[in-house]
Amino acid sequence: MGHQFVLLISACIFCIGAVGFLIRKNPLVMFMSVELMLNSVNFLLVGYSHFLKSMDGQIFALMIMTVAAAEVVVGLAIILTIFRTRHDMDVDHINTLKG
Amino acid sequence: MLEFDLFELTKATVTLLVGLTAVLASLGVILCSSPIYCALYLIGHMICLALLFLLYNAEFIAAVQIIVYAGAVMILFLFIIALLGGKKEVQEPSLERSLAVLFVATMLGELFLSATVGSTKPIEGGFDVETVAEVGGSAKAIGLELFSRHLVSFELASVLLLVAAIGIICLSKFSYIPVRRRMK
Repeated sequence: MGHQFVLLISACIFCIGAVGFLIRKNPLVMFMSVELMLNSVNFLLVGYSHFLKSMDGQIFALMIMTVAAAEVVVGLAIILTIFRTRHDMDVDHINTLKG
Repeated sequence: MLEFDLFELTKATVTLLVGLTAVLASLGVILCSSPIYCALYLIGHMICLALLFLLYNAEFIAAVQIIVYAGAVMILFLFIIALLGGKKEVQEPSLERSLAVLFVATMLGELFLSATVGSTKPIEGGFDVETVAEVGGSAKAIGLELFSRHLVSFELASVLLLVAAIGIICLSKFSYIPVRRRMK
């Protein structure tokens, strides 16, 4: 399959992730949508590393996976801390810092 | 030219099918009301992406995808859902949601345009399939590149993981008590 297939599929997945981040209210599902966006970029990098015969795309994908793992761990810890004090899973209700 | 390459045709069909399955699974992630189903769809999506990585000759990245994402990260998600209780989310249409969908649809149109119209001159590197096979597989080729040209970013990634580990220890151990005191 040509490189336009990679571009179109990863653009679709990225936009689905962006929609999910904007329309969902559960913070866990919002995190999953962020994972979708990161994964689509990974797919783009790996596909282009195949087409351009270079290893840099795969190394970049590896770095993105590291950042994503760190981000998920810290984000889930924050969600857990918020849930322990509020017992509520809706991002619209977390407005204590709002002035 | 009546004869065609059956291997290439099969590979293209499988790539197309797996790519479409990945897109459908990501739709399932954002459309399911219950977070546990979202997590299961996300696992399916990640396995599809690992298959696509395999089809694009990136065996090492596919293995890392399965181990790190479908293994570690999604198990973490499932444990958090089990801990917090996966309550169903009421999804009703509203003005903000339609605006969000419209905004992202515009973005998707722009991405499609830029993907199909423009053409750039590719700068090719030295790692085609034969060279990678000669070196000894994609893991060894990635290692050779990672530990020579990308050594600084590798060390920075290790520092990032250390900072994340220290951060979640601080979050889960120290931040709870002051918050409780403030709530009284």
